[in-house]
Amino acid sequence: MRKFLAVVKHEYKKVVYKWTFLLGTLLFPVIGACFAIVPAVIFSIKGEPTRIVIVDKTNKIAPRLKENLSAEKIVAKGEDAAKNANLTDSQNDRMRQSAKQAAEGFVFVNFDAAGKTPDRIRSELNEKAVAKEIDAYLLVPDNIEAVDAKFEFLSRKAGDFVAGDLIKDALNEAVRSQRLSDAHISEVAVKQLSAKVDLDSKAIDEQGREKDSDMLLAASFAIGLMIYIALAIYGQVIMGAVVEEKETRIAEILFSSARPFELMMGKLIGVGLAGLTQMGIWVASIVALLAFLAVQSDLSPMFAGLPHITPLMVFYFLLFFLLGYFIYASIFALIGSMVTTVQEGGQFALPVTMLLLVGFYFSFAVIRDPNSNLSFWVSISPFFAPLAMPVRIMAETPPVWQIALSVGINALAIAGLVWLASRVYRVGMLMYGKRATIPEVWKWIRQA
Amino acid sequence: MSENGVTLRVEGVTKRFGDFTAVEDLSFEVRAGRVFGFLGPNGAGKTTTIRMIVGITIPDEGKIELFGERMSAILQDRIGYLPEERGLYKKMKIVDQLRYFAALKDVSGAEADKRIDFWLERMNLAEWKNKKTTDLSKGMQQKIQFISTVLHNPDLLILDEPFSGLDPVNVEFMIDVLAEFKKQDKTVIFSTHLMETAERLCHDIILINKSKKVVGGSLREVKESYGKNRIALRATGGEAVLADTSLVAKFDAHADEKEIGLAAGADAQVLLHRLIESGATITKFEQVEPSLNDIFIEQVGGHDGNA
Repeated sequence: MRKFLAVVKHEYKKVVYKWTFLLGTLLFPVIGACFAIVPAVIFSIKGEPTRIVIVDKTNKIAPRLKENLSAEKIVAKGEDAAKNANLTDSQNDRMRQSAKQAAEGFVFVNFDAAGKTPDRIRSELNEKAVAKEIDAYLLVPDNIEAVDAKFEFLSRKAGDFVAGDLIKDALNEAVRSQRLSDAHISEVAVKQLSAKVDLDSKAIDEQGREKDSDMLLAASFAIGLMIYIALAIYGQVIMGAVVEEKETRIAEILFSSARPFELMMGKLIGVGLAGLTQMGIWVASIVALLAFLAVQSDLSPMFAGLPHITPLMVFYFLLFFLLGYFIYASIFALIGSMVTTVQEGGQFALPVTMLLLVGFYFSFAVIRDPNSNLSFWVSISPFFAPLAMPVRIMAETPPVWQIALSVGINALAIAGLVWLASRVYRVGMLMYGKRATIPEVWKWIRQA
Repeated sequence: MSENGVTLRVEGVTKRFGDFTAVEDLSFEVRAGRVFGFLGPNGAGKTTTIRMIVGITIPDEGKIELFGERMSAILQDRIGYLPEERGLYKKMKIVDQLRYFAALKDVSGAEADKRIDFWLERMNLAEWKNKKTTDLSKGMQQKIQFISTVLHNPDLLILDEPFSGLDPVNVEFMIDVLAEFKKQDKTVIFSTHLMETAERLCHDIILINKSKKVVGGSLREVKESYGKNRIALRATGGEAVLADTSLVAKFDAHADEKEIGLAAGADAQVLLHRLIESGATITKFEQVEPSLNDIFIEQVGGHDGNA
């Protein structure tokens, strides 16, 4: 037992006392935050304004379009949308800011098209574009009232989809208004009549409490992702540790001092505790962050929508993380003792990582319908349950017997896999020089 | 320290891997306080036997007794084993590695630290204590590995090719360290290809080839069992006598000396008598015992070429 503890301590320290552990622990939340923030930041970066020529012989569309692309109009439209979405003040501010930026992105250039043929207009404007005097031009057809009226937008900056989208929206609206007024229909009346229904989508759990489904989705996804990443990382850590001892021939010294089973279990548990430490740090910082945000009153309405996380849920979460860890870590340990280098291990590990990924994808199905038959089977089956069950518990806590069943099935799977892995480990660790073939490994399992 | 004077008793041990028999019906004893040479060509079954002795694998047949007890996990703590294929954790501090290896032999805390310091000092490696393996030369790593096998003060030391990778100065140094173990009445088993080293260090030997014992016993007994059928001769004349195949089986002429292998059943005295009769002038006629190297080559080299 003392030797076993020595192994656990050794493996734990080997992972935790490395700078990469600290880096990973700190970096994961940072990376997570980056995923949420960076795209928004990048899109908010102001580009050069787009110089645009509008060729409109009817002169019906151009004024409306210019108005629609003005800052006031875009901001007003954004505010309209915000009203429906129930945004907080700070979010509102941010949106107004970006709308203003978008509107400042256009400069209208005058162009005299009178008396020129369409082909002539085109060639002149193309020349201007090549000379970089203008960035884009819009050709408005004469027959705007026709259903198949063809508008043409030509731009040097074809990839600027933000500007393209804004123009498309503004143009659509301008044309629609014109068509309505041509048909003598009041635009205001149409707007009022076609106002969107306010659909507030919420989930009802077994206890009849309401949950906000958007937030639920986000939280479930975050949990699934966290477990997926941790399992993939710690599986690799185990494999690396096993391969190192094989590659450096330390295994034989170890085997002459302690039983292989002790050594392997010590390794699994030591690295597992390191993983739990990291998870603990993450969970604790999330809880601390939420508590901090709850104090900041202006943000609390946003977080009030978060699913209610109970201590029991945190316990389940860590429990299923551990179950998943032991399932995947023992497979990775098995692979590590079969191969001769980490690179070789990587090839064998690929199918296992795929299995993990399938489990991750299954958890999406579970989020969508936590009570379906699929969700039930996925959340009790080994390999997938460690990802799917915590997500399901988060989405809608299943009956306790199902959780117990899932834990039981996965515990059995772990017992089987550890048994298998320890047999391969015993023999494989002392086989130097070449990678074992599957039939060889099978022989070891039967003989060991 | 040594029950009945016998540290290790291997009795009728056989180990098979599938259809391949790695060790067949092997028996020998290692007495306490002696240095025992475990010799044989590559693939003879040395490592397999050693692994069974240290309890890494279990024999299919036969039994292994250590210190008068059947081999068990508890007895592992009384053995220090330096495998032929050995290594260290690459990116770990030397002192941390040694602490871990000591803990696995049930020596920990202050006691372990004390012994680590003692041995690092003894091996002139004290200033490397907090360095990583990758900073050390191969020879230094070798010494660290040796330290890891003796930290728990084992009663039996099993060293598989302990001198490979060491320069001659360090080989001498290690031989001195082994001599200290011998003085403390501890038993040393070591396996090597270097017959000269074995001849110098070992009290007893066993030579195995193709999974079987070829010859074993004290170095003296082994040599005597091969008889004194070699003669170093310095003489002029007598060529006719030396050509007689009923007397001389082998004849090697060196610079100023002839080395003669007697034919089976031939008597050295008869040869000497015949040489004098033939009128040869003899300045040297010496019966020489075979070296371990000769025995090794005779036993192993004749069967296959890889010795």
